[in-house]
This record gives sequence, C-alpha cells and structure tokens, in this order.
Amino acid sequence: MATIKINLQKKLNAASGMLHLDVDMNIEKGQLVTIYGESGAGKTSILRMLAGLMEADSGQILVNEKHWLSSQERICLKPQERRIGFVFQDYALFPNMTVKENLKFALEKGQDKSIVEELIEFMELGDLQNRHPEKLSGGQKQRVALARALVRKPEILLLDEPLSALDAKMRSKLQDYILKVHRKYHLTTLLISHEVGEVIKMADKIFILEDGKISKHGKPIDVFSSKQISGKFQFSGEIVQIEKEEIIFIVTVLIGANFVKIVAEENEISNMKVGDKVIVASKAFNPILRKIN
Amino acid sequence: MNNLRGKIKTIKTHGNISQVKVDLGEVCFCTVIIETPKTASYLKIGNPIQVVFKETEVIIGKGKQEDNSIQNKVEGKIIEMEKGKILSKVIIKTGIGKISSFLTTDSAEILELEIGTQVCAMIQTTEIMLSE
Amino acid sequence: MIDWQPLILTFELALVTTLLLLVVSIPLSYWLAYTKSKFKPIIETLVSMPLVLPPTVLGFYLLIAFSPSNSFGMWLDENLGLRLIFSFEGLVIASIIYSLPFMVHPIQAGFSSLPSSISEASYVLGKSKFITLIKVLLPNIKKSLLTGIVLAFAHTIGEFGVVLMIGGNIPGKTKVASIAIYDEVEALNYGAANSYSLILFVITFCILLLVYLVNGGYLRRMIQ
Repeated sequence: MATIKINLQKKLNAASGMLHLDVDMNIEKGQLVTIYGESGAGKTSILRMLAGLMEADSGQILVNEKHWLSSQERICLKPQERRIGFVFQDYALFPNMTVKENLKFALEKGQDKSIVEELIEFMELGDLQNRHPEKLSGGQKQRVALARALVRKPEILLLDEPLSALDAKMRSKLQDYILKVHRKYHLTTLLISHEVGEVIKMADKIFILEDGKISKHGKPIDVFSSKQISGKFQFSGEIVQIEKEEIIFIVTVLIGANFVKIVAEENEISNMKVGDKVIVASKAFNPILRKIN
Repeated sequence: MNNLRGKIKTIKTHGNISQVKVDLGEVCFCTVIIETPKTASYLKIGNPIQVVFKETEVIIGKGKQEDNSIQNKVEGKIIEMEKGKILSKVIIKTGIGKISSFLTTDSAEILELEIGTQVCAMIQTTEIMLSE
Repeated sequence: MIDWQPLILTFELALVTTLLLLVVSIPLSYWLAYTKSKFKPIIETLVSMPLVLPPTVLGFYLLIAFSPSNSFGMWLDENLGLRLIFSFEGLVIASIIYSLPFMVHPIQAGFSSLPSSISEASYVLGKSKFITLIKVLLPNIKKSLLTGIVLAFAHTIGEFGVVLMIGGNIPGKTKVASIAIYDEVEALNYGAANSYSLILFVITFCILLLVYLVNGGYLRRMIQ
C-alpha cells in the first residue's frame, strides 16, 4: 500500500483550447479514489503523469515519501521504475500473445510464476487463457488487462476509465472484480470515471476535476448530495421517465442495471427532468427481504 | 416530500441505532435512525436539522388521537385538497408548518375531509429521515 | 544456353541488400515513427529521395564519392582497403540506399499503426524499450516487415541505372540480370534477352503474389 501526494502543473492542448492543469491531491494508503469530471477536463493526463507516460511542466509526485517526480530536484522516474499497475481505456493487450502469454510477459526476472495461475483463477480466465485478444469480448479483455496489471504485484493501480465501453450489466460485474482485487492485493487504486453510480459504489474518496482544477473532493456521497441524509437505503441513479398519475408523479430511475419507480409529489420534482442524476433514499426500516431460490 | 425545520433536542444511542428528538416549535418529533453521532456529523444537540418524510407516510385522523402507538402527532386544519379517482392529496396547516399527505380517496370520503376540517397528522418514528 | 551468372549475381545482390536493409531499417523506421525531433522531416525526405530521383543521379554522386581520386574514396581505399566502384560491395551499398524507402516506409507505417498504449503498457510493466521492440512491436507488424522485405528484394532485382553507373558491367562481379538483358539487346541477341526477361518476370511475379496472398490472409483461409 502506498500514500501518494500529487502536485502537478501542465499546459495541455485540449479540444476546447488551452487547458491549464493544476492539481493537488493527497491519497491515503489503501484508498480507492476516483477522479471524476467531464471529458477533456484533464483526468487521463493526471494518471499518465503519475505513471510517467507524460511529462509534467512542474510539480512533484511523492509516493511513500519517495520522490517519483520533483521538478525542483530534477527527479523523474521512468515508467519502468515506478511499479504501478495501469489499465488502459483501450485495454492495450498485446495482440501477438495469448491471454496467458500477456500475463507471463508482465513477470519480472526471477519472479515466482505462480502469480499468473493465481490471477487466472481469481479473475476467472481459465477458459480464455489460450485465446488471443482478438477473440475476446470487451469485458473479457478488461479482465485480462486488470489481471496483467497485477502480475508484478504493484502497490498502486491506475484505471483509466476502464468500464466506459461496457454495457451496464458487464460494468457492474467488473466493478465487483476491481473492488475484489483492490481489497485482496491491498492496493491503493485511482479510478477515472464519469459515472456517478460507479463512483458512489466504489470510491472511498472522490476528486472532481473541472477545467484542470480540483473543484471538490471528499466522500462521494457528501460531494454529490450537497447535504447528508440519514436514509440508509440509498442509491444514485438517473431519471429515465417522469409520468403524472392522477395527483402524483411516478418517477422511473435507472440504478445500475435496474429500474425502480418512486412516487413523488409535484413540488418535490419541480426542478428535476429526465437525465438528471438523483439520489434515491429511503429508511432501512421499509424494505423487505426475500430469499431467491 | 415534507420538510420541516427544527433543532436536535435529545439523542439516545444504543449500538448503531439512535433515537433523536427534534424540537419543531409547537411539538417535538421523534425519529429512529441507523446512525450515531460518530457516523453522522450532523448529530449534535442543538444543531439545526430538517425532518423529512414522505406524503404517503402521513396518517390522518379526526378527533382525539390517543390510543395508538404513533408518537409524532400534530393538529391542524386542511387548507388545500385535491381529489383523484384513487388517490387524494391534502395539505394541512399546522403550528409547525404545512404538511401534505396522500391518502386514498375512499378514506378521504369516509372521514368526510374537506377544506377547513380539523385533523391530526401522524407519522411513525421509523418513517422520518433527518437531513442537514 | 544462357549464361546463368548474371541471374545468380542478381539474387545474391538482392539477398545481401535486403538483409542489410532490414538491419538498418528497423531502427531507422522506429526512430521515424516515434521521434519528436525537428530533424524528422529532413531525414524522411532523404529516405524518400530515391523514389523520385532518376537512378542515374544517385549513381553519379555515388560514383564521384567512391572514386579513389576523391578524398572519401581515397580514405576508404587507404584505411579500409575498400574500393567501392566497379565492385560487388559498391553495388550493395548503392542498392541499400536506392531501395531504402521501399523497406523503411512499410515498417514505419507499421509502427505508426500500432496504438501507443501497447508500448506504454509494456513500459509500465517494467519492460525496456528494446524488449518492447523485440517482443511486442515487431511481432505485431509482421505484415509490414514482410512487405518491406519483399518490396526491397524485388526492387533490387529490378534496378538498372544505379548499377550501371557505379558497377559497370564486369561479368561475375557486377553484371546483373538487368544489365545482361541490355547487353544482349544491344548485341541483337533477342533470344537470350527474352530468356533473362522471362525468368525475372516470373520470379518477381511469384514473389509479389506470395506477399499479397500472405498479407491478405488468403493463404490462411485456404489452409483452413
């Protein structure tokens, strides 16, 4: 596990013009942290600078009190020296290697090979291990990329919007895999996401990035709902339909892969429209549980 | 959604559950929540707080309401009423603010509710949420 | 019966040229594909020059440069004992320069077509640039390598102007098939010229056909 202190400045040529990235982030050991923001806000650049794949104009990266980057002291470790796991948005699997070969390629000299088998089993890749990446679905590729990133047993895992290309069901499954490996391998994980639900489900801490600056940070639920509410039955989702029924409104909300319907009163939803992100809250006393056979 | 403002008067915690009394002026509302002062920063005596509950959880009674288990009661007068085929909505003006309630139109007719009727609004402790 | 020596010499030249070109072109293409240097356009232009210049221009300058009566040629002669004019070695060097774009362009295009995340993924897995080149990049541009090898080989077989300028026409040393054909025609020996031409035609046709079959995936499909 690792504590990470980041302070970075970088001028970027974004689609919308010049972007001044200037961020300050503190990440504690073992946290799963998300960087959330619109596309083009500079999220990927932060991850790339942390991995050493992009140069910063100035700043410093301190991992476990060790400088990975310090523009003052002219230190900049190469990506090879940083010991991180990185999962790319396009998976970046090596097309010339099978799933297993992709994992084996990541082994260090003299490293115990049993980790490859362990990861294949843990990520449920057994049936796929002799296939080439072109024969895999998006979700399968993502699992391989995640497994490959963990072969060297990094302390830090960087995930560059790994789930954006997947459908809701697959995404939810992969979120569980990420949470599983985050805990099992005691990782400090940085995840880029622009899904509120994903952030609330997964993150201990969120940094909201707007125009290259951190505009807010904290616990996801605090950051997204400007005020706390005591309801323990809480989910975030997106409004997909608002229907008027007699004197009430029925609001359909997509939460993960499920639709739920909520009865609302006119004043309550007067400032809401389809597509809005909302928090659905109820008391823990109301829902009933029934075992599925 | 009903929103009433008040101040936290007492907090009784046992394990992960707390019973919180909120002073709303004329009356106190009581709620049971799965939070403790350790897990929720807003749980401090004297803190301003909002009491939140759904219209569907508001029970309406006429006359004296003494022989039931509901702790949170407030009397008031119906100032607005909207009748649908199945559901009806009433807004009650009380000493602690306006409270709206959904009930079946059948019930509204049995109780002979109309604008100006004196009623008692009741909410179960487990149905009340707190919000900053 | 025709003299087989020019044909053998041609393929010897093409083989040696292609092998050396491969060694030179992989680092050069790699550099061109990934560099951010401001010299890149200049180097790219130089590599592409043989595509547009008449071969005689290149041959002429090489002739001047390699001539022992000039300083560079003299230096080569005195220090390395190399005489590059009218010799097989000279032909090889001229052919390498002349066929350079045919090898470099496909390989460079191959490198550029690979997503940058692939090499980055290898770096963050702790692998050096060299290991990444050998184990990740090259195996994924096999088609481009094959195209480069075959184009350079076929192009070397077909060259005439440069060879004539700096190699002359020495049987067994520098007299390649294309020059032999020219010779035979000049001597009104059309039968021999036809034999050489036909053999060159068939061989180059077969080589190119093989590339298109392999790169187009026809072969794999036929086997399956």
